[in-house]
Amino acid sequence: MTESSNNGVGPNVPLDRRDPATGQAPGPVDPALEAIDPDRGRPANVIATRGLSLRFGDKTILSGIDMLFPRGTITALIGPTGSGKSTFLRTLNRMNDKVSGFRYGGDVLLDDESIWASHQDLLALRRRVGMLFQRPNPFPMSIRDNVVAGVKAHRIAKGKQLDVVAEERLRQVGLWDAAKDRLGDSPFRLSGGQQQLLCLARALAVGPEVLLLDEPTSSLDPISTENVEAMLKSLAPALTLIVVTHNLGQARRVSHHTMFFYDGALVEHGPTEVLFEHPREDQTERYVTGRMG
Amino acid sequence: MAKEVTALPSPRRRHLANWLFFRVGSMLALLLVVGPVLWVVVTVVANAAPHWKWSVLTTTTQGTSGGLENAVLGTLLLLLGVLVIAGVIGVAGGIYLAELVGTKANGKPRGGVFRAATEVLSGVPSIVLGYVGFTALVVGLHWQLSLLPAWIVLSVMVVPYIARGTETALRQVPTVYREGAEALGMPLGYGLRKVVLRSAIPGVVTSLLIALAISAGETAPLLYTAGWSVDNPSFSLLHKQVGYLTYPVWEFWDYPSKQAHYLSFDAALLLVVIVLILLVTARLIVARTQRHAESRR
Ligand SMILES: Nc1ncnc2c1ncn2[C@@H]1O[C@H](COP(=O)(O)OP(=O)(O)OP(=O)(O)O)[C@@H](O)[C@H]1O
Ligand SMILES: [Mg+2]
Repeated sequence: MTESSNNGVGPNVPLDRRDPATGQAPGPVDPALEAIDPDRGRPANVIATRGLSLRFGDKTILSGIDMLFPRGTITALIGPTGSGKSTFLRTLNRMNDKVSGFRYGGDVLLDDESIWASHQDLLALRRRVGMLFQRPNPFPMSIRDNVVAGVKAHRIAKGKQLDVVAEERLRQVGLWDAAKDRLGDSPFRLSGGQQQLLCLARALAVGPEVLLLDEPTSSLDPISTENVEAMLKSLAPALTLIVVTHNLGQARRVSHHTMFFYDGALVEHGPTEVLFEHPREDQTERYVTGRMG
Repeated sequence: MAKEVTALPSPRRRHLANWLFFRVGSMLALLLVVGPVLWVVVTVVANAAPHWKWSVLTTTTQGTSGGLENAVLGTLLLLLGVLVIAGVIGVAGGIYLAELVGTKANGKPRGGVFRAATEVLSGVPSIVLGYVGFTALVVGLHWQLSLLPAWIVLSVMVVPYIARGTETALRQVPTVYREGAEALGMPLGYGLRKVVLRSAIPGVVTSLLIALAISAGETAPLLYTAGWSVDNPSFSLLHKQVGYLTYPVWEFWDYPSKQAHYLSFDAALLLVVIVLILLVTARLIVARTQRHAESRR
């Protein structure tokens, strides 16, 4: 037992919520205050990377990435193909850990705690940091079962409550009207855009704080893309979104911050407007004006 | 010059030739596969139908006449045991090979020893397995000809099919399912059961079906382990011989008596029917579990 946990502080209370003076866990939060600002007392940056480097075997994929992701914002990741955007994204919920030859340097902090800290529960981490993939990947089960797949796995709800969760989440992503009469049907009869929204509903159902999205609209038509983009924007204040995209227009439309990757390095980052209008680096300028990549 | 050009097949003619080649070719191939199966079924039915009596199912064998109740029950009992023993070991082995062993540094999957062992095992003639079972279990452990050694030998025989079938089916499950389950924070085993295995079911069920069909059709290893009995099987695992359908097919068909001949063909018919029932059951299971599959939009 460490000294701090002798103090009557449960091991799962994040360090930052303790009173710095006494080292005590915070007292009960006034429910009124909690309702106004549920993030009260939490670090302003939900994720921070500190000199994050990453290798697969002998190959260095990412080098020295320092970045802060403020809570409730949308960050776009742009850069030419092979520049390490997906790898960076997948590192944040530890999807790369099992790749053979995986080695990392530096650190990734989630609410000021390393995601690789020994007390981190990988499954709980992934519940907090959800992910949406390039190609919609509904599971081979009914539409309803898809939405609640994660909810069941984490035993968040059961029985009749599951139907409530399914409806709530399908409504949230605007899929309820299209899906309400076919909840027991195969998800693969939905259009590609609807499938992606279904996957979004599934990811949202476990109540993540952060959502990682790897080119979420690249397999969708313009109208579905618009739908998904609108959805993402509406999620922002409650959730923190990190979106990889090859669509510079999309980055400008949806994101607050943009990161430009080149060859495994974070060349430049900043408020989206600034990065696109007044890039500091030549490489960035060439990329955002369409003269590279 | 002009002559040469006209000598070439016109696009239309070439089209026809192609069409004929593939049509006729594929018909022939189909016939080669389906033909023997049909031939077997027709022969068996034609030989069994004229003298068929339902009492065959309700009376036991008396010498070389009577019915086949004992053999039908024995075969079903043998199949049940194989399904449980070989099914559990084979499916677990397949899951182990496909999901749990991981890959070596050079990207090749681990578990080579296990895989090689299953390959060797599937190459050993069943009569050899029967003989080994006979010396080791029936004689060596004094189990005598009985149910348990038969279950074990049949299971050892079909486990490789089931393990490899399961492994192949699992490896064909799209990575996006696995990653989706992982990204939702599903525990490995949970995601495997609820998402990955679900889409591997057709392959797993097919390999179980083949394993059962092989077991139902085996004679040599059973002669060495189960023996033969004209009584209905009891629940004793050891020391008591068991009847099964391939025995009369194999033993009675060249007996001088007509009754023996009849029983031989009846048994063959019953075997065919059992295999058909297995097949239909497998199809039903696949259809039932795959109604939400990506391939059946
Ligand atoms: N599992 C892996 N093993 C080895 N190298 C990998 C692996 N995954 C990715 N890489 C390498 O990492 C580099 C970055 O890949 P990554 O997929 O992150 O690029 P990206 O920026 O997402 O590209 P794109 O825009 O095409 O999706 C590439 O050179 C790639 O070959
Ligand atoms: Mg990518």
